[in-house]
Amino acid sequence: MKKNSDDIDSVLIEKAKNGNKGAFSILVNKYYPRVYATLFSFTKSKEDSEDLSQQTFIKVWQQLDSFRGDSAFFTWVYRIAINLAKNFVASSGFKKQKINTSIEQAEIDISSFEDIESAVIHKQSLKEIKNFINTLPESLKTAFTLREAEGRSYEDISVITDTPIGTVRSRIFRARESIIDFMQKELITNE
Amino acid sequence: MNEINEKLSALYDGELNDAEVDELIDIINEEKSLQKRISMYTLIGAAVSQQSSNVTALDTRKNIKNAFSNIWFSNALTAAASVLLTLTFVNNVDFSRMDININSSKQISSAINSKEAKNTAEKSNEYLADHIMNIINDPNYMSSKNSLDLQNVGYKSNSDNGYIHSKGNESFQLRIENKNLGIKQIRYWKHGNKMIYLVPLNDGRVLTLYGNISLSSALSIAESANK
Repeated sequence: MKKNSDDIDSVLIEKAKNGNKGAFSILVNKYYPRVYATLFSFTKSKEDSEDLSQQTFIKVWQQLDSFRGDSAFFTWVYRIAINLAKNFVASSGFKKQKINTSIEQAEIDISSFEDIESAVIHKQSLKEIKNFINTLPESLKTAFTLREAEGRSYEDISVITDTPIGTVRSRIFRARESIIDFMQKELITNE
Repeated sequence: MNEINEKLSALYDGELNDAEVDELIDIINEEKSLQKRISMYTLIGAAVSQQSSNVTALDTRKNIKNAFSNIWFSNALTAAASVLLTLTFVNNVDFSRMDININSSKQISSAINSKEAKNTAEKSNEYLADHIMNIINDPNYMSSKNSLDLQNVGYKSNSDNGYIHSKGNESFQLRIENKNLGIKQIRYWKHGNKMIYLVPLNDGRVLTLYGNISLSSALSIAESANK
């Protein structure tokens, strides 16, 4: 069975509740990109999204004791972000204009939510990453794919590939390192 | 450093024990590059879980390169976010021609001219966004008993495993919302290997299907639910 990523969140949240800012920092880094992406869809502004993301995590830190784990941590964070975004939109003349525009278009599609979730990864870049993964040594590719695409736990992967868990861990790590290296070299420096 | 990075990778996967987590937290706290690496893992995971055929290109290649450049050279988190996908929207306009729409388009048209238009639009976004995020993030959200009988369309229900409905290779969970989520036609998204279908029912409720289920099967269930 897949090991639920919420497990590690729960551990980090408990530590953060006890004042461990390092644990909270990990949560912030893990979820900041998703929060930012969500807020950007509302504000359409890099600066506003950064400000609101920061405010979101400040609120999350301040209200962390009230998180009881009834929902996934990100769902809770997401609601805080959305509420901040709504307040921001309501208090901004520029954003009011955007909402009015949205309403006028509502007969076609009332929800702008789809815009949030529409892909912003370029097809070609995504394809290059996927192609690169296919060139990884079979052992790395298998372990990494079982983890990332199928969400298998290290224990599952160990059984499936008949490999010690330590080796599984190492292979997944090496695959990630290779992908990061590839992205750094091929998608950044080759203009 | 490699040993620490390997532990970070395992931490991201939730595969460290408590003592290792404590040890690593202290190290990460002192090392900003490790914190950024966590964001990179999020980004890689998002890229891997998507199917390129369903990804809509919004940015130019130059932009994406700039985004990646930013990851490394300036604001790592913001750049990562700009290319992060949590969900691929694959709404199909052909649905509008399949006679499954309900009267909600008229309701929405009326709402546009009302004083509550702004609130309606905002609420719709909020409900829909919340709903989708709950489906994705909360394992218990879809595990609810429902009153929809799918035996007439050939699906068996298993209440022992979160009320999963299955037929052949397909298996999914369903949930019915009593409130209108602001949708006027069937919408569907792909999330990882699963599909999410939101089906507006004739009585104003909204049916959600989540799992390994094809478009044609979702349509059959929608038709059955509307009878």
